[in-house]
Amino acid sequence: MNHPRNSAWTWSFLGLGFFFLYAPMLSLIVYSFNENRLVTVWSRFSTKWYAALFQDEQMLGAAWVSLKIAFFTACAAVVLGTMAAMVMTRLRAFRGKTLFAAMVTAPLVMPEVITGLSLLLLFVSLSTWTGFDFARGMTTIWVAHVTLTMAFVTVIISSRLAELDRSLEEAAMDLGANRIKVFFVITLPIIAPALVSGWLLAFTLSLDDLVLASFVSGPSSTTLPMQVFSSARMGVSPKINALATILIVTVSTVGVIGWYFMQRAERRRQREMLLAVKQ
Amino acid sequence: MTSAITSTPLAPVAASADKRIDGYLRIDTVRKEFDGFVAVDDVSIDIRQGEIFALLGASGCGKSTLLRCLAGFEKPTSGRIVLAGQDLTALPPYERPVNMMFQSYALFPHMTVEQNIAFGLKQDRKPKEEIVRRVEEMLALVQMGKYAKRKPHQLSGGQQQRVALARSLAKGPKLLLLDEPMGALDKKLRSQMQLELVSIIEKAGVTCVMVTHDQEEAMTMAGRIAIMESGRIRQIGTPDEIYEQPNSRYTAEFIGSVNLFDGKIDQDEKDFVTIACPALPDPIHVAHGVTGYSGMEVAFALRPEKVQISKQEPAAPHNKAQGVIEDIAYFGSHSVYHIRLARGMKVLCNFVNQQRWASEGFTWNDAVWVSWGDLEGVVLTS
Repeated sequence: MNHPRNSAWTWSFLGLGFFFLYAPMLSLIVYSFNENRLVTVWSRFSTKWYAALFQDEQMLGAAWVSLKIAFFTACAAVVLGTMAAMVMTRLRAFRGKTLFAAMVTAPLVMPEVITGLSLLLLFVSLSTWTGFDFARGMTTIWVAHVTLTMAFVTVIISSRLAELDRSLEEAAMDLGANRIKVFFVITLPIIAPALVSGWLLAFTLSLDDLVLASFVSGPSSTTLPMQVFSSARMGVSPKINALATILIVTVSTVGVIGWYFMQRAERRRQREMLLAVKQ
Repeated sequence: MTSAITSTPLAPVAASADKRIDGYLRIDTVRKEFDGFVAVDDVSIDIRQGEIFALLGASGCGKSTLLRCLAGFEKPTSGRIVLAGQDLTALPPYERPVNMMFQSYALFPHMTVEQNIAFGLKQDRKPKEEIVRRVEEMLALVQMGKYAKRKPHQLSGGQQQRVALARSLAKGPKLLLLDEPMGALDKKLRSQMQLELVSIIEKAGVTCVMVTHDQEEAMTMAGRIAIMESGRIRQIGTPDEIYEQPNSRYTAEFIGSVNLFDGKIDQDEKDFVTIACPALPDPIHVAHGVTGYSGMEVAFALRPEKVQISKQEPAAPHNKAQGVIEDIAYFGSHSVYHIRLARGMKVLCNFVNQQRWASEGFTWNDAVWVSWGDLEGVVLTS
């Protein structure tokens, strides 16, 4: 094989790409340790904004709300997404199957503003029709987030299910397990990695969402992105930098750890397979 | 079924030796249609207890669909499947006393060898001690005791196959199904595993239906073979019956290689017939009667190893022709000569290489005689 040499030209492309992606975050991290009140003027190193952040009840409360919503959203999205994926991959062709598949994944491409607005209208009119008060708050945000993230989860899980060897499920049935048992004892454990990545994606998307939450939230349910956005409009406080730094560090730590364990498992698997063939 | 013209029929060896229940598994006019396409076309087979029965055919002939009907993954459009007096037709796969070994083995990747084998027993809620004992028994049967704690990906292909077999035998099924059992193994391992599989299955004493597209595999492993083509059974018989007494052009050509001479019955006597072939100078002389009539269109099938080749004209009065050696394929144990007859037809002739470097000095473009005994071929009417 003839590998072309990496020239200064390609290296500079790489550098430019990295700069474009990470320079904003890097400056944010650096300025989170800035003592100055003004975000853009450096005076000296300090961690006082971290201390201030942990005393900001509003910010902490919003973070807690966001985490709770994200957790329950991810759980519900995985359950519903798995069900939708099973329908899409396991049922024989039925009338409207293509339509169903398209509609399940439509929220992926639907502008969030539209989804948010229509959900708001739905909640308001439901309250009028049923007389039951669908008070806007955490529950409505949760419903909205499940609607959005379920589509992503469905795509992830159905692609895993589609490549799953059908004879595994048939073998389990052949050995005496009924359909429900097969699903829980064979199918679910095998697609578990897809469930985990679906859960994580739903969690992240929900934690990150501003648009949907803005439409369907109530007075007592401000999520973290909403809080950050509204305080940023008042003028960016270095506290936000501190918060962002914490988030970035958490996410990258989780990512790196996950990557490391996956690599290790994969290498061990490769080694064992090689060993089995040699014997 | 097509009418077979047979001479004194060969005594069915397997039947006389086997006194076990006939019709243990009855496949009764089973038909399976998919959106108007007929995959299995009114197939009826009776399978004896303890026999290894092979469904042999090219891909798309319906053999796999029939197997899936037996396992319960497909429901026949019509017809019945009865095993040991029990009608299975309407039962779901998890209620049938039938287990299957899949082509991909379908070992559960998240379970160890032990857990895989125990899976079926656990579904029956058997007591724990019994499960442990049975799993050990199965591991010993397939000689995989050492590997009980391994996961499937830590096993080689041959080992995975043994585990799959052990798993499908663990519940003591009344019927074992094998779907292309050697399909996932490389060629060298196949011939070894074929005989090993047969000996394990015979030790377990289970009735077995296997599906394969490999005639060698079917002939090595099975006691009887059904040849399927476009959803129908073309012929059922022991390997030697199918090879020596094919009932149609299709089976004659499907199993092994064959020289087919088209012609018409010329003289139809009680103890011999002659067939006039445009490809040969003289009529073929067959030394037994056939159920046919004068002038009937037939084909005369002659296996390449039944054809003699010589430089001098054979002494026999008939069944000989002159030709030229056009091609020689050397296979080590034997050579196949491709001989172009004077009237244009190509005849294959196997020549066993009994002596090193002997080959009787036949070489390309030699003028030779081909000949055959008057009992060696089969007259086919379809």
